[in-house]
Order: sequence, then structure tokens, then C-alpha cells
Amino acid sequence: MQKIRGILKQLKVSCEDISPLISESMDHRVALEKRLRIKFHLLICGACQCYKTQMDIIKNLAKKIGSEDIELKKGSALRPETKEKIKQSLKSIS
Amino acid sequence: MNERHLDSSQWVDRYGDIMYRFTLLRVKNADSAEEIVQNTFIAAIQSQDKFAGRSTEKSWLFGILKHKIMDHFRSQKRLQNFNLPEESESNSEEYDDSGHWKIFPKDWGLDPEKAAENTELAQKLEECMNGLSDKFRRIFIMKELDGIDSEEICNEFDIKPTNLWVILHRTRSQLKVCLEAHWLGDMK
Repeated sequence: MQKIRGILKQLKVSCEDISPLISESMDHRVALEKRLRIKFHLLICGACQCYKTQMDIIKNLAKKIGSEDIELKKGSALRPETKEKIKQSLKSIS
Repeated sequence: MNERHLDSSQWVDRYGDIMYRFTLLRVKNADSAEEIVQNTFIAAIQSQDKFAGRSTEKSWLFGILKHKIMDHFRSQKRLQNFNLPEESESNSEEYDDSGHWKIFPKDWGLDPEKAAENTELAQKLEECMNGLSDKFRRIFIMKELDGIDSEEICNEFDIKPTNLWVILHRTRSQLKVCLEAHWLGDMK
């Protein structure tokens, strides 16, 4: 196994080489050669398959928490006195 | 709410909380977030005559808010002009000598398509984002929460695309480690 891993590293298809490519391929269309390296590696590596799924989960979650309509969680609302202050300042200029 | 006319007397009650939440997530600091929301409403009142009714009141206000948040970060000069160490210095502590994971990524047992509905995990991600450095946090938010073009982000921070890919990879890996520790840990 150790020998195989050594070969993979030499071919630049070890986990260390591929995990940055997995991330990069989420950000733009990477070159064919990189895509093939990712594909090949994912075929033989369950750990990196999990890593890729984790990256997809984080991406989808991030999009969700960035949206304008996400439910308010505790402690993330304006304080009543701040609201009042803003209302007063708006009244004074409108 | 789909108002296509403006009713500024209702703004604070209708949108104050969601705009504050949106801002707080991005700027982290409660005082700054309050100030930005207030300044957004003031700017909106002053430019009410430019509202053409093409968008809803809410999306118009959010448009102004996003500009104000951007201005806030641009005024913080310390976030600009940072350099990143070479790629070779990337998180090598995660891998052994043969380039294999030291700690295997775990199966989280989640479908990525449905993961966004997991509010508990979403909340953990927010918490984990607070552990990022200011620069990485800002870049991650622009890219993944706000969906801003890579090119625009590179221009904003004066970095090369290759730097951006490295930053995003490191950020995601850090978030993954944090989620495994705090979310997966809680589940067991």
C-alpha cells in the first residue's frame, strides 16, 4: 500500500495533490488534465470522495446562510432601542 | 412582501432585523452592523426619487445595504494588499509523507443537495466562520455567500487567481475541520 501511495505521489495524484484541485474545480472550469487527475483519483479514493462531498455541503450551506431571507436566529435582531433611534433619525430627515 | 412603492415609515419594522442579521454575519461587529443599517436607511431616504419601481422595496434596500457593507470593508485598509505564502506551504500538516490524509475525511451522512436545509449545521458553519482570519473570512463570504465573481474578488484584494484558489481551499479545509470537531462531535 505504501508503495502504491509513493507512486501516486510521484504521479501528482496523491490526496495532497488532489484536494486543492477538488476545491479549485468548484471555483472555475479547470483544465482537462486536472479534471482527469481528479476523476482518476476519486475512483480509487474513498477519503477524497468524502472530502468532495464535504466541500459541496459547505458550498451549499454557505449559499444558504448568505441569503437575504434566512430565518433569524437568537441575538441577531436589532435591539428595540436601536430601532427607535433609527426611526427618529429617519423622521428627522424625511 | 413585494411592494413596488416605498413606504419609509415601515422600513425599520419590516426590514430592520433581516438587514441587521445580513450585515452582522458579514461585518461581525454589532456596533458596525447597526451603524451600517442606519446609514443604509438614511441613504435610501435621500435617494427615494431614484427608486423606479423596477425592483421591490426590499431588494432595492438590500442593494444599497450591500454597497454600504462593501464601503465598510474598503475603509478598513488593513485588509488590503496582503500577500500569501507560496503554495508549497499549504496545509501540509494534514498529509503524511506519501501525500495521504493523516486523518481521513469522514462521511457526514448528508446529501449535499439537502444539506442546506440543515439549520443546525448552518448555524455551526456560521460559528466556524468566526474562527477564520478576517481576510479569509471576507474572501469566503464574497465568493460563497454573496456569489461575487472570482475576477472581481481578485481585483478587490489585488491578488492573482492562483492565490484565490489557495485561499479558498485553505478556508474550506479549515471549515471542514471545525465542522467535524463541533458538529459531528455533538451528534455522537
